[in-house]
Amino acid sequence: MDKSNKELSGKIALVTGGTKGIGKAIADKLASNGATVVVTARKPSEQEIEHHFIAADLTDSSNIVELTGKIIEKYGTLDILINNVGGTTSPAGGFQMLGDDDWNSDIELNLLASIRLDKAMVPKMIEKNSGVVIHISSLNGKIPLYQSNFSYGVMKSALNAYSKTLANEVAKNGVRVNTVSPGMVKTTAMETFLENYAQTIGKTVAEGSQQLMDSLGGVPLNRLAEPEEIANMVAFLVSDGASYITGANMLVDGGTYPSV
Amino acid sequence: MEKELKGKVALVTGGTKGIGRAIADRLSDAGAIVVVTARSLPAKQQAKHPFIAADLTIANETDKVVTEINEKFGSIDILVNNMGGSTSPSGGFAALTDEHWERDLQLNLQSAVRIDRAILPQMVEKKSGVIIHISSVTGSLPVYQSLGGYAVAKAALNNYSKSLSKEFSPQGIRVAAVSPGMVKTDTMDTYLQSLAETSGLSIEQVTQNLMDSLGGIPLGRMALPEEIAELVGFLVSPKASYVTGVNYIIDGGSNPSL
Repeated sequence: MDKSNKELSGKIALVTGGTKGIGKAIADKLASNGATVVVTARKPSEQEIEHHFIAADLTDSSNIVELTGKIIEKYGTLDILINNVGGTTSPAGGFQMLGDDDWNSDIELNLLASIRLDKAMVPKMIEKNSGVVIHISSLNGKIPLYQSNFSYGVMKSALNAYSKTLANEVAKNGVRVNTVSPGMVKTTAMETFLENYAQTIGKTVAEGSQQLMDSLGGVPLNRLAEPEEIANMVAFLVSDGASYITGANMLVDGGTYPSV
Repeated sequence: MEKELKGKVALVTGGTKGIGRAIADRLSDAGAIVVVTARSLPAKQQAKHPFIAADLTIANETDKVVTEINEKFGSIDILVNNMGGSTSPSGGFAALTDEHWERDLQLNLQSAVRIDRAILPQMVEKKSGVIIHISSVTGSLPVYQSLGGYAVAKAALNNYSKSLSKEFSPQGIRVAAVSPGMVKTDTMDTYLQSLAETSGLSIEQVTQNLMDSLGGIPLGRMALPEEIAELVGFLVSPKASYVTGVNYIIDGGSNPSL
């Protein structure tokens, strides 16, 4: 289909961690809405052919300088920045399990990677008085889970505060900044996790998945999200239809968050 | 191209002007059959969508509306509780009588509760449906000088909407609230004009003063009704299939909290 009359035609978008899971779904959705999409990851995935791929480890600031240079050289600008990269390699088991190294690597991956990339890219957006930045956060930023995701949740909470603060600062420059907080999402990584988890507790994958949903206080829609459902929200937020939305944190969690 | 809401029956309360009209137009553009209610059609306005005159602050008018829609168009898939507002005086706590409180609650909370109650059984039967409550940023950002009772009623509506989502999401019904900040409706324009006349200031100046009273709007302007309608159009579509129980604030950044 012709890209020229689509909602995002002519737009250049960068999706970090865009080769799998939520990031891949976002990259695919933005591309199908007409954008030219650049994706980063530490390594290319085997089937990555649809989008322009640039290898980068965003916890390494020299990689960010290089990435920014490549994008500006090739496209001259950036319209849409999706800070999707994140995650944790810290052990479960609560507060006592987490060493300085765990905290540092969670900070790098979930907060500083976004801050550095925004710092490199947002000035280009301010220059042309237009642009959209999205931070992919997590429901964990609003519902702390000390057993499994202590430091990750804390970092996502910090990311929420950072995103709101940046939104306040650059709104006058025509740049919108928003956060999307997914609940449990059925990514390949999640499926692998669920399989391992089920084995560990000696239950079926369905039972393990139910137990995890219950640990969140229950998911009213009673299932995990598909990555596409998160991508749909991101695609809406970066479109002109969302022109009055900035500084927001959009939960996409099947009703899991219990508070008003 | 197949339209996203083709074959869906939608009800938009207070759908003849302002945000409600923009929502009705947006859902209709997406292919839905949209029925709108209001106490009366605004003067000189042709009914663009099937219109039912009803005062939904009166209990028995609710069933009449639902029955009429069911007879003409079938069961309702999308309910947008948009009606609301306030006729209470400004001036803070002491200016509000029991009648003002009752009126604000009828208009912003109980009217929605009643129409949800009338329509939910048909959604439960189909295990599908979407209910939107149009709230206000004042529900989480109280402005005591001018909108005390209204803001309290909207906060109650937010709590009610969350509760309803917990009860009915397991049955396939999504429930969400949308909280707009300042929106440039005709009513807002009239209000700003009257403020300007009373104060002797320009429209621009009174607009700025009002935005400042909210603590400032980072985007530096009011919303257009169409911008609120875009978010509602997204929420009622299949694209928002994992969204329920939320209260999405659409306020140009004016809510200062996380």
